[in-house]
Amino acid sequence: MNWQIVKTAALVVVLSAAYQATAADAKKRYPSMAPLDQYLIADRSAEIALARSAAPESISKDAEVMVLGRHGYETVVKGKNGFVCLVERSWTAGSDDPDFWNPKLRGPICFNPAAARSYVPFTIKKTELVLAGQSKAQMFEGIKAGLDKKELPTPEPGAMCYMLSKQGYLNDQAGHWHPHLMFFVPRTEAATWGANLPGSPILFTDDPEDRMTVFLIPLAKWSDGTDAPMDMH
Amino acid sequence: MTIAFRSVSLFVALSLAWQVQAADTNTLYSSMAPLEQYLMADRTAEIALARSAAPESISRDAEVLVLGRRGYETAVKGKNGFVCVVERSWMAPFDDPEFLNPDQRLPLCLNPPAARSHLPLTFKMTELALAGLNKTQIFDSVKAAFDKKELPLPEPGAVCYMMSKQQYFGRKYGNADPHLMFWVPKTDDMFWGAGLSGSPVYVHQYSPEPITEFIISVSEWSDGTAAPKE
Repeated sequence: MNWQIVKTAALVVVLSAAYQATAADAKKRYPSMAPLDQYLIADRSAEIALARSAAPESISKDAEVMVLGRHGYETVVKGKNGFVCLVERSWTAGSDDPDFWNPKLRGPICFNPAAARSYVPFTIKKTELVLAGQSKAQMFEGIKAGLDKKELPTPEPGAMCYMLSKQGYLNDQAGHWHPHLMFFVPRTEAATWGANLPGSPILFTDDPEDRMTVFLIPLAKWSDGTDAPMDMH
Repeated sequence: MTIAFRSVSLFVALSLAWQVQAADTNTLYSSMAPLEQYLMADRTAEIALARSAAPESISRDAEVLVLGRRGYETAVKGKNGFVCVVERSWMAPFDDPEFLNPDQRLPLCLNPPAARSHLPLTFKMTELALAGLNKTQIFDSVKAAFDKKELPLPEPGAVCYMMSKQQYFGRKYGNADPHLMFWVPKTDDMFWGAGLSGSPVYVHQYSPEPITEFIISVSEWSDGTAAPKE
């Protein structure tokens, strides 16, 4: 009998059960949208700084910056380099994400020009629908309709973004998680990039509602140049 | 004053040493070495080296190419659309002083879009080098091939793994670091925010190939061991 295997298996079972319990707990905690004020950042300068923290200063200092207002995202800083930085809120997560309505979630992102044109419209549209009081199901119906009518684009070649903020809060389990780059492509399989395989540095997320695939590459440093933990386990 | 003088002297000495080495390198690799120096006598070793470019979970099902006297040959058929190959120094940028360094060994595993759109360039460059053309002639032929659209531009999503601890870029960079490379049709560095202070994305603008290469370092070699932090 290999006790290491038994202990590892037991740990997996315990962790898996713990995750399921936490996810179920999160669903209970965030069953619907909280009052809007909980999603807003009162200090506009703080939101601008948080948005910019997604990328190294050399990129974000010349980027357009958007902040969330009561009616949606507004441009508060005009950009010069084609990048767009903003802080996403929980409703840009997938429909089955237990943190979908978590008002604590703050996802600072800086999008390159290709993603600014072909991904940011999703964030703006989802936010507009949610702030108009639509339910999660209605919001995703709206996205589906937008895609069917081609009012929403497919990811352009080379669409990518920076998520290197140490101050981000991506969900109750991961906190700020790891600094990473994300690449948006029309829906494809993980195998196309060799993602999610043992030892692969590329992670894969399927996003069926937005009809795209997101590949992630974790990095070693935050946008401020400090080291990040590289242990992904 | 003394420290400043010593620093300047050290800088001058290092600068001179570098210039001598660069000139030395240019002289050393100004023309093709005998073909044997670019070949690997042990085919099994070349297959293993090619596969070491990516984690085993990817490379074990990949097609593997090895370099023969007349070009690349398929040594192992693949099942997952990836192709692993050990490129030689003529695939380095034309401005690399080690362009024809016969010691260079550059293992890559290419995903399916990269296999379709990058390998034709590898084959073309190899054919020209093995035919004995010099660097200028290779440059002109490759330029003409792109001008006539005989060589394809990178497909969207073309990516390759270079995570072999055994890779050797030559005297200047050694085995460098494990990284991923993305090829796109010629674009600005700023397209991915590359080459800026603090950016994790490095860039190389090829010429005459109308191709931009974005490079992202990763933290582990393909065997799972940690890479140096810097």
